[in-house]
Amino acid sequence: MTLVSLSDFAAVEYSDVLWHGLVMTLKVSAISIIGSLAVGLVGAAIGELRVPVFRQLVRVYVEAIRNTPLLVQIFALFFVLPTMGVTLGPFTVGCVALVAWGGAYNVENFRAGLASVSPRYLEGARALGFSHTGAFLQVTVPIGVRLSLPGLTNTMISVVKNTALLVGIGLAELTFVVQKLSAETFRTVELFIVLGLVYLALVLTLSGLMHLVNRRYTLGAGA
Amino acid sequence: MDDTSWVAPALGLARSGALQTVIIALASVALSVFSGVVLGVLLCLPQGRWNDPVCWLLNIYLQVFRGLPVLVTLFIVFFISPSAGLQLSSTSAAILGLSLWGSSNVMEVVRGAVRSIPTAQFEAARALGFRWRSVMRLVILPQATARMIPPVVNLTVDLIQATTLASLIGVIEVLQRSRQTVEYYQLSAGDGHAAPVFGGVLVFFFLICYPLTVLAGRLERGARNGKSTSGEKPSRSMRSQPVEVPQTTTGR
Repeated sequence: MTLVSLSDFAAVEYSDVLWHGLVMTLKVSAISIIGSLAVGLVGAAIGELRVPVFRQLVRVYVEAIRNTPLLVQIFALFFVLPTMGVTLGPFTVGCVALVAWGGAYNVENFRAGLASVSPRYLEGARALGFSHTGAFLQVTVPIGVRLSLPGLTNTMISVVKNTALLVGIGLAELTFVVQKLSAETFRTVELFIVLGLVYLALVLTLSGLMHLVNRRYTLGAGA
Repeated sequence: MDDTSWVAPALGLARSGALQTVIIALASVALSVFSGVVLGVLLCLPQGRWNDPVCWLLNIYLQVFRGLPVLVTLFIVFFISPSAGLQLSSTSAAILGLSLWGSSNVMEVVRGAVRSIPTAQFEAARALGFRWRSVMRLVILPQATARMIPPVVNLTVDLIQATTLASLIGVIEVLQRSRQTVEYYQLSAGDGHAAPVFGGVLVFFFLICYPLTVLAGRLERGARNGKSTSGEKPSRSMRSQPVEVPQTTTGR
């Protein structure tokens, strides 16, 4: 007769394997969030500054990404690139796919933010002698980025959640590790419950963090 | 190189997969909207009475299924349901999992739309002696429905795209079929034709989703301009305020 000990829980027994999976998930998430913010800001700036040709290309990119499933994009990258002589590992493909996906949504988020900056600010800056680009970079962008924070937060959370799709191309992130462990140990129920709880914790932590950022940087009405 | 004999069988496979995709999409959209509206209306029950625990449970449901990645919800439904004594086929597990996620998003939309109706409407109807149920049915919901439609169309697009996740729990839908095609020709002929096959799947989804996205955008703009685009007559006192339905934080 033994009492239940801590090591009876699969999550504790296999904690090191799960930890590696979590680290992988966090790594891909961090790279993809940063990358997609950069892509989104550049894309939105191209649209706002009305750069010819590039502006139309950005529209096509955004609509193409937003109207096709991410999982198909991931598979297409993973299976089509090798036929063109480019062989990338699942980690690179995952990051590229998520950056492209999040970037398309962030173009929209930034665009909405930049578009809602009051034209009075721009007029004021122009009257003070700023060039068109200077006024955009030093007035519209700092205000517009703050206005886009709620949308950006949503996309960031979606990016973190969507790292789970990389299980399809065999990247050893959290979902993959749990699926493999459960196939090996048959401790399906507890492993998947732990998986769900970890994702909920990740999402709640990120949204809590972004709530703090929002509170610090959000501008009131009239901006 | 110009051998096109693989195209016809590949299209045949794709068609049977596409049919499965459409079935899953239709079933989960219908289930999500129906259960989401019912639960969402319950979420709007006046608080501080017998229904507090109901509200509490509904909020947990909402937070959990909106917070989990859809894929994880599918895995949980698919792998845990046998332990709970349920023998679900992978297709029904996919429909159930997608509906859990979809309905929690619809709940949020319903709550947002109901809250966007000025409280004066509610109070006036109560003052006239209507019960809560009648107020909802006759006054609030007819107005709120118009505001729910654009976000629900957007959610439909997300659900259609999320049906591809079902391939990861073994449903043979369009993506799984295309992977089988590529694998088959890779092994038998040495060339999997991955580019045209996956390109075709992308085009398939684009052709379905793009018109819906455009439609949702139009409806949203129409609603913002104070016009009712859903064929419903706006009540005279309805202010033409922008639709403040919260953006869905989806696991697209």
